Amino acid sequence: MIQFFRAHWRPPMPWQALIALATLFTALLLAGAALAHNVTEGDSGYVQEVTGFRPIAFIYLGAKHMVTGYDHLLFLAGVIFFLYRSKDIATYVSIFAIGHSVTMIAGVWWSIKINAYIIDATIAFSVVYKALDNLGAFRLWFGVQPNTKAATLIFGLLHGFGLATKIQDYDISPDGLLGNLIAFNLGVELGQLMALALILTAMTHWRARHAFARQAYAANVLMMVAGFALMGLQITGYFVA
Amino acid sequence: MSNRFDISKAPLRAEPRHPAAAAPVQSVPATPGGLIRSTLLAAGAAGAILVLFWLPAEYGIDPTGVGGLTGLTEMGEIKQQLAAEAEADVEAAAAAPVAAVEATPATAAPAPEILERLDRIDAQLAAISAVIGTPPSLTEPAAAATVVAEPAPEAAAAPAPDPVEAAVAEAAAPEPATPEWRDEVSYTLNPGEGIEVKLSMEEGQTARFLWTANGSVVNFDLHGDGSGESISYEQGRAVPEAAGDLTAAFTGNHGWFWRNRTEAPVTVTLRTGGDYAEIKAP
Repeated sequence: MIQFFRAHWRPPMPWQALIALATLFTALLLAGAALAHNVTEGDSGYVQEVTGFRPIAFIYLGAKHMVTGYDHLLFLAGVIFFLYRSKDIATYVSIFAIGHSVTMIAGVWWSIKINAYIIDATIAFSVVYKALDNLGAFRLWFGVQPNTKAATLIFGLLHGFGLATKIQDYDISPDGLLGNLIAFNLGVELGQLMALALILTAMTHWRARHAFARQAYAANVLMMVAGFALMGLQITGYFVA
Repeated sequence: MSNRFDISKAPLRAEPRHPAAAAPVQSVPATPGGLIRSTLLAAGAAGAILVLFWLPAEYGIDPTGVGGLTGLTEMGEIKQQLAAEAEADVEAAAAAPVAAVEATPATAAPAPEILERLDRIDAQLAAISAVIGTPPSLTEPAAAATVVAEPAPEAAAAPAPDPVEAAVAEAAAPEPATPEWRDEVSYTLNPGEGIEVKLSMEEGQTARFLWTANGSVVNFDLHGDGSGESISYEQGRAVPEAAGDLTAAFTGNHGWFWRNRTEAPVTVTLRTGGDYAEIKAP
Protein backbone atom coordinates (compact mmCIF):
# COMPACT_ATOMS: atom_id res chain seq x y z
CA MET A 1 0.00 0.00 0.00
CA ILE A 2 2.67 2.44 1.07
CA GLN A 3 4.89 1.38 -1.79
CA PHE A 4 2.04 1.90 -4.21
CA PHE A 5 1.47 5.34 -2.78
CA ARG A 6 5.15 6.21 -3.00
CA ALA A 7 5.35 5.00 -6.56
CA HIS A 8 2.42 7.11 -7.71
CA TRP A 9 2.80 10.14 -5.56
CA ARG A 10 5.04 12.89 -6.84
CA PRO A 11 5.67 16.00 -4.85
CA PRO A 12 3.69 18.63 -6.71
CA MET A 13 5.98 21.44 -5.64
CA PRO A 14 9.76 21.84 -5.45
CA TRP A 15 9.60 22.01 -1.67
CA GLN A 16 13.31 22.40 -1.08
CA ALA A 17 13.49 25.36 -3.39
CA LEU A 18 10.37 26.91 -1.88
CA ILE A 19 11.69 26.51 1.65
CA ALA A 20 14.97 28.11 0.62
CA LEU A 21 13.09 31.01 -0.96
CA ALA A 22 10.81 31.44 2.01
CA THR A 23 13.81 31.51 4.33
CA LEU A 24 15.45 34.17 2.20
CA PHE A 25 12.38 36.38 2.20
CA THR A 26 11.76 35.86 5.90
CA ALA A 27 15.35 36.80 6.63
CA LEU A 28 14.92 39.91 4.51
CA LEU A 29 11.70 40.85 6.29
CA LEU A 30 13.10 40.17 9.75
CA ALA A 31 16.25 42.13 9.03
CA GLY A 32 14.09 44.99 7.86
CA ALA A 33 11.80 44.80 10.84
CA ALA A 34 14.70 44.73 13.24
CA LEU A 35 16.47 47.66 11.64
CA ALA A 36 13.28 49.54 10.81
CA HIS A 37 12.94 51.64 7.75
CA ASN A 38 12.63 54.89 9.59
CA VAL A 39 15.51 57.07 10.42
CA THR A 40 16.54 55.70 13.77
CA GLU A 41 16.28 57.77 16.89
CA GLY A 42 20.06 57.86 17.20
CA ASP A 43 20.69 59.12 13.66
CA SER A 44 17.90 61.65 13.86
CA GLY A 45 19.19 62.84 17.21
CA TYR A 46 22.68 63.25 15.78
CA VAL A 47 21.48 65.26 12.79
CA GLN A 48 19.51 67.59 15.04
CA GLU A 49 22.60 68.31 17.12
CA VAL A 50 25.00 69.26 14.33
CA THR A 51 25.32 72.10 11.84
CA GLY A 52 27.53 72.77 8.83
CA PHE A 53 28.82 70.65 5.97
CA ARG A 54 29.66 67.14 7.15
CA PRO A 55 30.18 65.05 4.02
CA ILE A 56 31.36 61.76 5.49
CA ALA A 57 28.64 61.69 8.14
CA PHE A 58 25.89 62.25 5.57
CA ILE A 59 27.36 59.79 3.07
CA TYR A 60 27.29 57.23 5.87
CA LEU A 61 23.68 58.05 6.78
CA GLY A 62 22.59 57.83 3.12
CA ALA A 63 24.30 54.48 2.63
CA LYS A 64 22.86 53.16 5.88
CA HIS A 65 19.37 54.24 4.89
CA MET A 66 19.61 52.47 1.54
CA VAL A 67 21.19 49.25 2.78
CA THR A 68 18.60 48.93 5.56
CA GLY A 69 15.66 50.10 3.42
CA TYR A 70 14.12 46.79 2.49
CA ASP A 71 11.44 48.29 0.25
CA HIS A 72 14.04 49.98 -1.96
CA LEU A 73 16.03 46.74 -2.09
CA LEU A 74 13.01 44.61 -2.97
CA PHE A 75 12.20 46.94 -5.86
CA LEU A 76 15.81 46.89 -7.01
CA ALA A 77 15.84 43.08 -6.91
CA GLY A 78 12.64 43.12 -8.96
CA VAL A 79 14.16 45.48 -11.53
CA ILE A 80 17.23 43.33 -12.16
CA PHE A 81 15.39 40.02 -11.84
CA PHE A 82 15.49 39.26 -15.57
CA LEU A 83 18.37 41.55 -16.50
CA TYR A 84 21.51 39.65 -17.47
CA ARG A 85 23.75 42.03 -19.41
CA SER A 86 25.76 44.43 -17.30
CA LYS A 87 24.90 47.22 -19.75
CA ASP A 88 21.17 46.70 -19.11
CA ILE A 89 21.69 46.52 -15.36
CA ALA A 90 23.73 49.73 -15.43
CA THR A 91 21.06 51.47 -17.55
CA TYR A 92 18.14 50.55 -15.31
CA VAL A 93 19.97 51.21 -12.06
CA SER A 94 21.08 54.61 -13.42
CA ILE A 95 17.50 55.47 -14.41
CA PHE A 96 16.34 54.54 -10.91
CA ALA A 97 19.18 56.53 -9.33
CA ILE A 98 18.48 59.64 -11.45
CA GLY A 99 14.80 59.41 -10.56
CA HIS A 100 15.25 59.26 -6.81
CA SER A 101 18.10 61.80 -6.76
CA VAL A 102 15.97 64.42 -8.50
CA THR A 103 12.97 64.17 -6.17
CA MET A 104 15.09 63.67 -3.07
CA ILE A 105 17.07 66.90 -3.51
CA ALA A 106 14.15 68.87 -4.96
CA GLY A 107 11.81 67.60 -2.25
CA VAL A 108 14.08 68.69 0.59
CA TRP A 109 15.13 71.93 -1.10
CA TRP A 110 11.55 73.12 -1.63
CA SER A 111 10.23 71.40 1.50
CA ILE A 112 7.82 69.19 -0.44
CA LYS A 113 6.59 66.84 2.23
CA ILE A 114 4.30 63.94 1.46
CA ASN A 115 2.88 61.89 4.31
CA ALA A 116 5.50 59.22 5.08
CA TYR A 117 2.90 56.44 5.28
CA ILE A 118 1.38 57.33 1.92
CA ILE A 119 4.74 57.50 0.18
CA ASP A 120 5.90 54.25 1.80
CA ALA A 121 2.69 52.56 0.72
CA THR A 122 3.37 53.77 -2.83
CA ILE A 123 6.91 52.39 -2.65
CA ALA A 124 5.46 49.07 -1.45
CA PHE A 125 3.07 49.20 -4.41
CA SER A 126 6.08 49.62 -6.72
CA VAL A 127 7.31 46.24 -5.46
CA VAL A 128 3.96 44.63 -6.34
CA TYR A 129 3.97 46.37 -9.73
CA LYS A 130 7.48 45.17 -10.58
CA ALA A 131 6.67 41.60 -9.56
CA LEU A 132 3.58 41.63 -11.79
CA ASP A 133 5.64 43.16 -14.57
CA ASN A 134 8.20 40.37 -14.24
CA LEU A 135 5.42 37.80 -14.49
CA GLY A 136 4.20 39.45 -17.70
CA ALA A 137 0.84 40.22 -16.13
CA PHE A 138 0.20 43.49 -17.97
CA ARG A 139 0.84 41.87 -21.34
CA LEU A 140 -1.43 38.97 -20.47
CA TRP A 141 -4.20 40.97 -18.86
CA PHE A 142 -4.29 44.13 -20.94
CA GLY A 143 -2.34 43.15 -24.05
CA VAL A 144 0.22 45.90 -23.55
CA GLN A 145 3.68 45.94 -22.02
CA PRO A 146 4.19 49.26 -20.21
CA ASN A 147 7.60 50.76 -20.94
CA THR A 148 9.85 49.28 -18.27
CA LYS A 149 12.35 52.14 -18.39
CA ALA A 150 9.59 54.74 -17.91
CA ALA A 151 8.17 52.72 -15.01
CA THR A 152 11.63 52.53 -13.40
CA LEU A 153 11.99 56.30 -13.74
CA ILE A 154 8.53 57.02 -12.30
CA PHE A 155 9.06 54.70 -9.36
CA GLY A 156 12.55 56.15 -8.92
CA LEU A 157 10.94 59.59 -8.58
CA LEU A 158 8.50 58.21 -5.99
CA HIS A 159 11.25 56.50 -4.00
CA GLY A 160 13.07 59.87 -3.99
CA PHE A 161 10.06 61.54 -2.38
CA GLY A 162 10.24 58.86 0.29
CA LEU A 163 13.89 59.71 0.90
CA ALA A 164 13.05 63.43 0.96
CA THR A 165 10.36 62.86 3.56
CA LYS A 166 12.79 60.90 5.73
CA ILE A 167 15.45 63.62 5.48
CA GLN A 168 12.93 66.30 6.41
CA ASP A 169 12.06 64.23 9.47
CA TYR A 170 15.75 64.55 10.34
CA ASP A 171 15.10 68.27 10.92
CA ILE A 172 18.41 68.99 9.22
CA SER A 173 20.16 72.33 9.83
CA PRO A 174 19.89 74.93 7.01
CA ASP A 175 23.62 75.57 7.49
CA GLY A 176 25.40 73.41 4.91
CA LEU A 177 22.10 71.94 3.72
CA LEU A 178 22.85 71.53 0.01
CA GLY A 179 26.28 69.99 0.57
CA ASN A 180 24.87 67.60 3.14
CA LEU A 181 22.01 66.66 0.81
CA ILE A 182 24.41 65.86 -2.00
CA ALA A 183 26.54 63.86 0.42
CA PHE A 184 23.46 61.97 1.61
CA ASN A 185 22.49 61.26 -1.99
CA LEU A 186 26.01 60.06 -2.76
CA GLY A 187 25.71 57.76 0.23
CA VAL A 188 22.37 56.47 -1.07
CA GLU A 189 24.01 55.59 -4.40
CA LEU A 190 26.96 53.94 -2.66
CA GLY A 191 24.62 51.95 -0.45
CA GLN A 192 22.62 50.99 -3.50
CA LEU A 193 25.75 49.75 -5.28
CA MET A 194 26.77 47.74 -2.22
CA ALA A 195 23.32 46.18 -1.95
CA LEU A 196 23.24 45.61 -5.71
CA ALA A 197 26.56 43.75 -5.56
CA LEU A 198 25.09 41.35 -3.00
CA ILE A 199 21.78 40.94 -4.84
CA LEU A 200 23.56 40.35 -8.15
CA THR A 201 25.92 37.79 -6.66
CA ALA A 202 23.00 35.82 -5.29
CA MET A 203 20.94 36.26 -8.48
CA THR A 204 23.81 35.13 -10.73
CA HIS A 205 24.24 31.93 -8.79
CA TRP A 206 20.52 31.33 -8.70
CA ARG A 207 19.99 32.03 -12.38
CA ALA A 208 22.79 29.62 -13.33
CA ARG A 209 20.73 26.78 -11.87
CA HIS A 210 18.16 24.83 -13.82
CA ALA A 211 15.70 25.31 -11.01
CA PHE A 212 15.59 29.08 -11.61
CA ALA A 213 13.10 28.71 -14.48
CA ARG A 214 10.69 26.91 -12.11
CA GLN A 215 11.32 29.14 -9.10
CA ALA A 216 11.15 32.48 -10.88
CA TYR A 217 7.35 32.46 -10.84
CA ALA A 218 7.13 31.63 -7.13
CA ALA A 219 9.81 34.18 -6.31
CA ASN A 220 7.82 36.99 -7.94
CA VAL A 221 4.64 35.88 -6.20
CA LEU A 222 6.53 36.00 -2.89
CA MET A 223 7.72 39.46 -3.82
CA MET A 224 4.07 40.41 -4.27
CA VAL A 225 3.30 39.02 -0.82
CA ALA A 226 6.00 41.23 0.67
CA GLY A 227 4.77 44.24 -1.32
CA PHE A 228 1.14 43.74 -0.36
CA ALA A 229 2.01 43.22 3.31
CA LEU A 230 4.12 46.39 3.37
CA MET A 231 1.31 48.28 1.70
CA GLY A 232 -1.14 47.07 4.31
CA LEU A 233 1.19 48.00 7.14
CA GLN A 234 1.77 51.52 5.81
CA ILE A 235 -1.89 52.18 5.03
CA THR A 236 -2.86 50.99 8.51
CA GLY A 237 -0.13 53.20 9.94
CA TYR A 238 -1.61 56.18 8.10
CA PHE A 239 -4.97 55.69 9.80
CA VAL A 240 -3.53 54.85 13.23
CA ALA A 241 -1.04 57.71 13.44
CA MET B 1 56.12 8.36 -18.40
CA SER B 2 55.39 8.71 -22.05
CA ASN B 3 51.62 8.51 -21.71
CA ARG B 4 51.70 11.41 -19.31
CA PHE B 5 51.21 13.65 -22.33
CA ASP B 6 48.93 11.31 -24.18
CA ILE B 7 46.68 13.75 -25.97
CA SER B 8 44.08 11.10 -26.76
CA LYS B 9 43.26 10.80 -23.06
CA ALA B 10 42.85 14.52 -22.53
CA PRO B 11 39.40 16.10 -22.79
CA LEU B 12 38.88 17.76 -26.12
CA ARG B 13 37.62 21.01 -24.65
CA ALA B 14 35.80 22.26 -21.65
CA GLU B 15 32.18 21.57 -22.46
CA PRO B 16 29.63 23.31 -20.31
CA ARG B 17 27.92 20.66 -18.26
CA HIS B 18 24.49 22.06 -18.91
CA PRO B 19 24.37 23.67 -22.32
CA ALA B 20 20.67 24.39 -21.86
CA ALA B 21 21.37 26.64 -18.84
CA ALA B 22 23.23 29.07 -21.06
CA ALA B 23 19.95 30.37 -22.51
CA PRO B 24 18.90 33.06 -20.02
CA VAL B 25 15.44 32.84 -18.58
CA GLN B 26 13.84 36.19 -19.29
CA SER B 27 10.19 35.44 -18.62
CA VAL B 28 8.01 32.88 -16.97
CA PRO B 29 5.21 30.82 -18.46
CA ALA B 30 1.92 32.18 -17.17
CA THR B 31 -1.75 32.44 -18.05
CA PRO B 32 -4.04 35.41 -17.34
CA GLY B 33 -6.24 33.33 -15.03
CA GLY B 34 -3.28 31.76 -13.28
CA LEU B 35 -1.78 35.17 -12.68
CA ILE B 36 -5.02 36.49 -11.20
CA ARG B 37 -5.10 33.49 -8.86
CA SER B 38 -1.46 34.05 -7.92
CA THR B 39 -2.07 37.74 -7.28
CA LEU B 40 -5.08 36.99 -5.09
CA LEU B 41 -3.06 34.31 -3.29
CA ALA B 42 -0.26 36.82 -2.68
CA ALA B 43 -2.71 39.44 -1.39
CA GLY B 44 -4.37 36.84 0.83
CA ALA B 45 -1.05 35.66 2.27
CA ALA B 46 -0.03 39.27 2.87
CA GLY B 47 -3.36 39.92 4.58
CA ALA B 48 -2.91 36.89 6.82
CA ILE B 49 0.63 37.95 7.81
CA LEU B 50 -0.64 41.45 8.54
CA VAL B 51 -3.72 40.47 10.52
CA LEU B 52 -2.12 37.63 12.48
CA PHE B 53 1.28 39.07 13.27
CA TRP B 54 2.27 42.42 11.89
CA LEU B 55 -0.61 44.69 12.86
CA PRO B 56 -0.83 43.26 16.41
CA ALA B 57 2.93 43.63 16.95
CA GLU B 58 3.24 47.15 15.51
CA TYR B 59 -0.07 48.84 16.26
CA GLY B 60 -1.83 46.58 18.76
CA ILE B 61 -4.61 46.00 16.21
CA ASP B 62 -5.86 42.45 16.63
CA PRO B 63 -9.06 41.67 14.72
CA THR B 64 -8.70 37.86 15.01
CA GLY B 65 -7.65 37.58 18.65
CA VAL B 66 -4.57 35.56 17.66
CA GLY B 67 -2.30 38.46 18.60
CA GLY B 68 -3.76 38.37 22.11
CA LEU B 69 -2.92 34.67 22.39
CA THR B 70 0.63 35.09 21.13
CA GLY B 71 1.27 38.24 23.17
CA LEU B 72 2.08 40.29 20.07
CA THR B 73 -0.87 42.61 20.73
CA GLU B 74 0.67 43.61 24.05
CA MET B 75 3.89 44.48 22.20
CA GLY B 76 1.98 46.68 19.79
CA GLU B 77 0.04 48.40 22.56
CA ILE B 78 3.21 49.17 24.51
CA LYS B 79 4.88 50.49 21.35
CA GLN B 80 1.93 52.77 20.65
CA GLN B 81 1.85 54.01 24.21
CA LEU B 82 5.58 54.73 24.28
CA ALA B 83 5.32 56.50 20.93
CA ALA B 84 2.50 58.69 22.23
CA GLU B 85 4.42 59.53 25.39
CA ALA B 86 7.60 60.29 23.43
CA GLU B 87 5.57 62.63 21.24
CA ALA B 88 4.15 64.36 24.29
CA ASP B 89 7.68 64.79 25.62
CA VAL B 90 8.85 66.31 22.36
CA GLU B 91 5.94 68.73 22.38
CA ALA B 92 6.63 69.71 25.98
CA ALA B 93 10.30 70.24 25.13
CA ALA B 94 9.42 72.22 22.01
CA ALA B 95 7.16 74.56 23.97
CA ALA B 96 9.94 75.58 26.37
CA PRO B 97 12.45 77.05 23.87
CA VAL B 98 9.74 79.22 22.31
CA ALA B 99 9.10 80.82 25.68
CA ALA B 100 12.81 81.32 26.18
CA VAL B 101 13.24 83.07 22.84
CA GLU B 102 10.33 85.38 23.57
CA ALA B 103 11.76 86.25 26.95
CA THR B 104 15.17 87.29 25.62
CA PRO B 105 14.62 88.84 22.22
CA ALA B 106 17.29 91.56 22.43
CA THR B 107 20.36 89.44 23.04
CA ALA B 108 22.67 88.68 20.16
CA ALA B 109 22.32 85.15 18.81
CA PRO B 110 24.43 82.91 21.04
CA ALA B 111 26.38 79.91 19.85
CA PRO B 112 24.24 76.90 18.89
CA GLU B 113 25.88 74.79 21.60
CA ILE B 114 24.67 77.24 24.22
CA LEU B 115 21.19 77.30 22.70
CA GLU B 116 21.03 73.52 22.78
CA ARG B 117 22.09 73.46 26.39
CA LEU B 118 19.47 76.09 27.18
CA ASP B 119 16.86 74.03 25.38
CA ARG B 120 17.68 71.01 27.48
CA ILE B 121 17.53 73.03 30.67
CA ASP B 122 14.22 74.54 29.59
CA ALA B 123 12.83 71.09 28.91
CA GLN B 124 13.79 70.00 32.39
CA LEU B 125 12.30 73.14 33.89
CA ALA B 126 9.08 72.48 32.04
CA ALA B 127 9.01 68.96 33.41
CA ILE B 128 9.58 70.22 36.94
CA SER B 129 6.99 72.97 36.69
CA ALA B 130 4.52 70.38 35.45
CA VAL B 131 4.99 68.60 38.77
CA ILE B 132 4.83 71.74 40.86
CA GLY B 133 1.88 73.17 38.99
CA THR B 134 -0.35 70.18 39.54
CA PRO B 135 -2.57 70.70 42.58
CA PRO B 136 -2.15 67.86 45.04
CA SER B 137 -5.60 66.37 45.38
CA LEU B 138 -5.20 63.10 47.14
CA THR B 139 -8.78 61.99 46.87
CA GLU B 140 -8.69 61.90 43.11
CA PRO B 141 -7.79 58.51 41.72
CA ALA B 142 -5.01 58.39 39.18
CA ALA B 143 -7.21 58.37 36.15
CA ALA B 144 -5.47 60.17 33.31
CA ALA B 145 -2.34 60.25 35.38
CA THR B 146 0.00 63.09 34.58
CA VAL B 147 3.03 61.39 33.24
CA VAL B 148 5.88 63.80 33.69
CA ALA B 149 8.87 63.51 31.40
CA GLU B 150 10.19 59.96 31.59
CA PRO B 151 13.44 60.26 33.47
CA ALA B 152 15.09 57.03 32.41
CA PRO B 153 16.85 58.14 29.18
CA GLU B 154 18.36 61.31 30.58
CA ALA B 155 19.28 59.54 33.77
CA ALA B 156 21.78 57.41 31.88
CA ALA B 157 23.82 60.46 30.95
CA ALA B 158 23.49 62.19 34.29
CA PRO B 159 26.57 62.20 36.46
CA ALA B 160 25.92 60.75 39.87
CA PRO B 161 27.82 63.03 42.24
CA ASP B 162 28.35 60.40 44.86
CA PRO B 163 27.08 56.90 44.22
CA VAL B 164 27.44 55.88 47.82
CA GLU B 165 25.45 58.82 49.05
CA ALA B 166 22.91 58.42 46.32
CA ALA B 167 22.36 54.76 46.92
CA VAL B 168 19.11 53.76 48.49
CA ALA B 169 19.68 51.86 51.66
CA GLU B 170 17.07 49.15 51.39
CA ALA B 171 15.32 48.47 54.66
CA ALA B 172 18.16 50.03 56.59
CA ALA B 173 17.93 50.14 60.38
CA PRO B 174 14.25 49.56 61.01
CA GLU B 175 12.79 51.86 63.59
CA PRO B 176 12.13 50.21 66.91
CA ALA B 177 8.84 52.00 67.43
CA THR B 178 6.21 52.50 64.75
CA PRO B 179 7.76 54.93 62.28
CA GLU B 180 6.17 58.31 62.04
CA TRP B 181 4.89 58.84 58.53
CA ARG B 182 4.27 62.39 57.40
CA ASP B 183 2.37 61.65 54.22
CA GLU B 184 0.40 58.80 52.78
CA VAL B 185 -0.94 58.73 49.22
CA SER B 186 -2.75 56.02 47.34
CA TYR B 187 -3.49 55.66 43.65
CA THR B 188 -5.31 53.12 41.56
CA LEU B 189 -3.64 52.55 38.22
CA ASN B 190 -5.50 50.93 35.36
CA PRO B 191 -3.50 48.56 33.13
CA GLY B 192 -0.89 50.57 31.24
CA GLU B 193 -1.24 53.68 33.39
CA GLY B 194 1.64 55.34 35.15
CA ILE B 195 1.98 57.93 37.88
CA GLU B 196 4.70 60.02 39.43
CA VAL B 197 5.05 61.18 43.03
CA LYS B 198 8.03 63.21 44.16
CA LEU B 199 9.51 64.70 47.29
CA SER B 200 10.98 68.17 47.24
CA MET B 201 14.36 67.76 48.94
CA GLU B 202 17.59 69.64 49.66
CA GLU B 203 20.86 67.96 48.80
CA GLY B 204 21.81 65.42 51.47
CA GLN B 205 18.37 65.23 53.08
CA THR B 206 17.18 61.71 53.81
CA ALA B 207 13.57 60.60 53.63
CA ARG B 208 12.14 57.27 54.71
CA PHE B 209 9.65 55.54 52.52
CA LEU B 210 7.50 52.46 52.18
CA TRP B 211 5.38 51.66 49.18
CA THR B 212 3.33 48.66 48.31
CA ALA B 213 1.32 47.49 45.32
CA ASN B 214 -1.19 45.99 47.80
CA GLY B 215 -0.72 42.39 46.72
CA SER B 216 -0.06 43.08 43.06
CA VAL B 217 3.11 44.21 41.28
CA VAL B 218 4.25 47.40 39.50
CA ASN B 219 7.24 48.63 37.54
CA PHE B 220 9.02 51.53 39.16
CA ASP B 221 11.77 54.05 38.64
CA LEU B 222 13.09 55.85 41.69
CA HIS B 223 14.71 58.96 40.31
CA GLY B 224 15.33 62.62 40.83
CA ASP B 225 15.83 65.82 38.88
CA GLY B 226 16.53 69.45 39.58
CA SER B 227 19.56 71.78 39.80
CA GLY B 228 20.13 70.95 36.12
CA GLU B 229 20.80 67.34 37.03
CA SER B 230 18.92 64.11 36.91
CA ILE B 231 19.56 60.69 38.36
CA SER B 232 17.97 57.27 38.46
CA TYR B 233 18.52 55.66 41.84
CA GLU B 234 16.81 52.37 41.23
CA GLN B 235 14.51 50.70 38.74
CA GLY B 236 12.52 47.52 38.96
CA ARG B 237 9.95 45.45 37.11
CA ALA B 238 7.04 43.56 38.62
CA VAL B 239 7.95 44.56 42.19
CA PRO B 240 5.35 44.02 44.95
CA GLU B 241 6.72 46.59 47.44
CA ALA B 242 9.80 48.44 48.61
CA ALA B 243 10.98 50.32 51.66
CA GLY B 244 14.10 52.20 52.66
CA ASP B 245 15.82 55.57 52.85
CA LEU B 246 16.14 58.03 50.04
CA THR B 247 19.08 60.43 50.22
CA ALA B 248 18.87 63.31 47.76
CA ALA B 249 21.94 63.48 45.53
CA PHE B 250 21.20 67.12 44.75
CA THR B 251 18.55 69.72 45.50
CA GLY B 252 15.41 68.99 43.53
CA ASN B 253 12.51 66.59 43.25
CA HIS B 254 13.14 62.96 44.03
CA GLY B 255 10.57 60.24 43.85
CA TRP B 256 8.87 57.40 42.09
CA PHE B 257 7.37 56.70 38.74
CA TRP B 258 5.15 53.64 38.82
CA ARG B 259 3.56 51.90 35.91
CA ASN B 260 1.01 49.11 36.00
CA ARG B 261 1.97 46.53 33.38
CA THR B 262 -0.42 43.91 34.69
CA GLU B 263 -3.83 43.24 33.22
CA ALA B 264 -5.84 44.38 36.24
CA PRO B 265 -6.01 47.66 38.17
CA VAL B 266 -3.34 48.02 40.84
CA THR B 267 -3.46 50.27 43.89
CA VAL B 268 -0.14 51.73 44.94
CA THR B 269 0.17 53.14 48.43
CA LEU B 270 3.16 55.29 49.42
CA ARG B 271 4.09 56.40 52.94
CA THR B 272 6.90 58.87 53.48
CA GLY B 273 8.63 60.38 56.47
CA GLY B 274 11.92 62.01 57.43
CA ASP B 275 13.54 65.08 55.90
CA TYR B 276 11.86 66.67 52.92
CA ALA B 277 10.07 69.93 52.25
CA GLU B 278 6.83 68.61 50.78
CA ILE B 279 5.31 65.82 48.77
CA LYS B 280 4.38 66.60 45.19
CA ALA B 281 1.62 64.27 44.19
CA PRO B 282 -0.89 64.60 41.37
